[in-house]
Amino acid sequence: MVYSSLLFIYGFLPFSLLFYYITPNRQREKMLLLLSMLFCGAMGLCYLGLMLAYTVVNYTACRMIGKNRGKPAAAVPFAAAMIFDLAAILVFRTKYFIGSYSIIGWPEGIFPIGISFVTLAMLGTLIDVYNGRISEEKSIFRFALYVMFFPKLIMGPVLRYRSFSKALGSRRDGLNEIGIGISIFVKGLSKKVIVADNLYMLYKAVRSVDPADMSAMTAWLGIAAFLLSLYFTMSGFSDMGVGLSHCFGMRLPQCFSYPLFRTKIRYFAARWHMQAMHWFRHYITKPLSSFSRSRIFRRCIYILSWGAFGFWYSFDMNGIVWGIILAAAIIVENRFSKHRLLAVTGVIYTFIITAFAAVFLACDSISDSLRYIFAMLGGNKMFADSLGFYLFRYYVVILLVAMYASTDLFRNMLIRSGKTRFRTVIAASAPLIVLTFAVLCTILLSYSGSSGMIIMKL
Amino acid sequence: MNERVNKFTAVIMLGFICIFSAAMLLGGKESFSVDENRELTEMPEVSASSLINGSFTEQLSRYAADHFPAREKLIAIDSRIQAELSEKIVNGVFVSGERLLDTGAADRPDTEKSAEAINSFNDSYNGAVYFVCVPTSAGVYSETLPPYMQKNTESRQISSLYSNLSADIRKIDAYNILKMLNDSYIFYRSDSKWTSYGAYCVYRTVIQKLGFSPTAYDKYTIDHVENDFRGDLYHRSGYAGVKADIMDIYRCKGDTNVISCTGRDERGNIYKRHLFDKAELDSSYKYNMYLGKPLPLVKVKTNVNNQRKLLVITDSFGSCFVQFLTQHYSEITVVMPSEIKGSVRNMVDPGKFDQTLFLFGIDSMSDSSIFEKLN
Repeated sequence: MVYSSLLFIYGFLPFSLLFYYITPNRQREKMLLLLSMLFCGAMGLCYLGLMLAYTVVNYTACRMIGKNRGKPAAAVPFAAAMIFDLAAILVFRTKYFIGSYSIIGWPEGIFPIGISFVTLAMLGTLIDVYNGRISEEKSIFRFALYVMFFPKLIMGPVLRYRSFSKALGSRRDGLNEIGIGISIFVKGLSKKVIVADNLYMLYKAVRSVDPADMSAMTAWLGIAAFLLSLYFTMSGFSDMGVGLSHCFGMRLPQCFSYPLFRTKIRYFAARWHMQAMHWFRHYITKPLSSFSRSRIFRRCIYILSWGAFGFWYSFDMNGIVWGIILAAAIIVENRFSKHRLLAVTGVIYTFIITAFAAVFLACDSISDSLRYIFAMLGGNKMFADSLGFYLFRYYVVILLVAMYASTDLFRNMLIRSGKTRFRTVIAASAPLIVLTFAVLCTILLSYSGSSGMIIMKL
Repeated sequence: MNERVNKFTAVIMLGFICIFSAAMLLGGKESFSVDENRELTEMPEVSASSLINGSFTEQLSRYAADHFPAREKLIAIDSRIQAELSEKIVNGVFVSGERLLDTGAADRPDTEKSAEAINSFNDSYNGAVYFVCVPTSAGVYSETLPPYMQKNTESRQISSLYSNLSADIRKIDAYNILKMLNDSYIFYRSDSKWTSYGAYCVYRTVIQKLGFSPTAYDKYTIDHVENDFRGDLYHRSGYAGVKADIMDIYRCKGDTNVISCTGRDERGNIYKRHLFDKAELDSSYKYNMYLGKPLPLVKVKTNVNNQRKLLVITDSFGSCFVQFLTQHYSEITVVMPSEIKGSVRNMVDPGKFDQTLFLFGIDSMSDSSIFEKLN
């Protein structure tokens, strides 16, 4: 059950809101846990079992580390839980362990959604507790809620334990928050159902052609569609999650802050999947960089951590290449960042670099990616063909809408307009706009009933 | 101001969601959708394995979608919006101004296994085997499809199928016959199958191979029995923007007549059937007017006095084809393996026939389980 399904929106959501708000204030945390467990259970009892295993193993390890703080004995539960978490993500995200599923009683062909986020969160918490940066959580209920909180299960954000417990502790629920929450939820839903799904169709249409017969125009249309669809899928799901947590009074941070069409790759990188990026910076780049002050060493570490970030996306070489291209581009860019030409052509060159990098996330193998890039460069001696014009004709509107919606132009316009009438009109018609989009999304979902994660399994 | 707007949003949205979920929960549950011509999902049964692997929730999700309030209206609007938002493909159906076409040709599994099964049927058979593979409307009108789908997919699939069949099977190239005539009304606009006229055009060639001379077009009285037919592609896409189809029946002038038409199912129950069952014109799938609802076996006896018998092994393409065979054979046995659970040989003994005609759409050919029932 994903958020973008009729069963969730018209079944689970009103059900969970009702039960949350009829529960007395002091018991609401437990109610949230109960609802989250129900959500996990609905994804399959095996999934609930996996999440409970994560909870128990990591909770126990944190408690044992806390008891033995400062003693060498603390390393034992630390290492054991680290191995458990890493083993779990390797088993489920790579294809090498499919044979072992029957041993642990896992049904074949079921992917535990969100496992990548849970693993990052657990690893971070273990390291923090081990280093003494935070004290361990005493209540297993709160810890379990940290693992299973259903609004952040599918697409994060990867919150550090302290941020999560702070958000949980300072809940402000009520009608006002539900209003904000549902608006954000509908925004995310529209991103996924209206924009991402249609752009994915464009990408699929392009991919039905062999890269060797592809014109440059078609290839560029395809990769632009992929990049936008990836962004709208991931930010859509994270918006839905953020909106849901608002409904329960929790303010979680946004994961994306208009990363596309920036003037520098650095800005793209700083705004793309922020919490996950923070995690890699905090737990990989920083500790490793402290080993040496050498500039070259630190650059290598920087590239390495981006490679790791990319690897976390895809669990193969392609993801690593994606990360390395972006990191290398940022390092080069920093050298020339004062160059005046960059300010003018920034948007174009940033888009080109991110598009080339995105090829590696889109394709299955390095050789496939290289052939695709070859087509993008016009290597097939074809710059435009009838397919390119056909796709352009039918998708240009949605592409332009998506491009506009992926920038912060509209938000800035609202902010800049101050207290003018324009802003008042927009604010007053907000409920109607939200309702319209909700109806539209319901219509688009009416045939299949749900719109799942198609583009990336995290 | 902002807080008031937020609260107002909350109230409106909660009201909207609650109305729909109440309607979903309490509303009447249909078991059959006329517009889509299919059984709707039933409430899934709880079982240990479906709870463990989460398939229970998946089925529940499908159930919720199938019984969502005002579903049929929503789908009709959905198809219009989908066709505007992106290229004109709705639920795998390409919507051109004139007709609906299936876009799934490239994803069809290979037909090699089906060909093997037919070859081994042929090896154990003494009479002559004739074979016709009929393209769908998407194959005949492939140039209407988006450029990346115009790779003659169906013609390649059919020729690779024919090359896998034994040399002594007599094959009829329906694809090129139909392709040449594609400015006539040979395929329905909203269905993937051929019209009676399309079937007639192929019949002319087939019947010559079978050893008769075809009946000339002007020998028929043609009745337009239906002018509001909407076919399988409409059921799938819900797109009502193309003109409804006309259904024809062909009757030969003169004295040939169908004496009896009986169907039989696997348990041996006998049903009375008609070559043209006009009661089906009131059902959700009007195409069933030809020979009635599909049955494992239908036997047609005519007053043609030549004692010749033909075995036709076919799918839904065949039910519209039989009307042309009645002028040539005194007995025609139509078998539909897709309706049979066990072996075809439990229903009929092919050894009693001198001629067997296979007539299948390319879509059925990619489902080898149909042909494994032959042997």
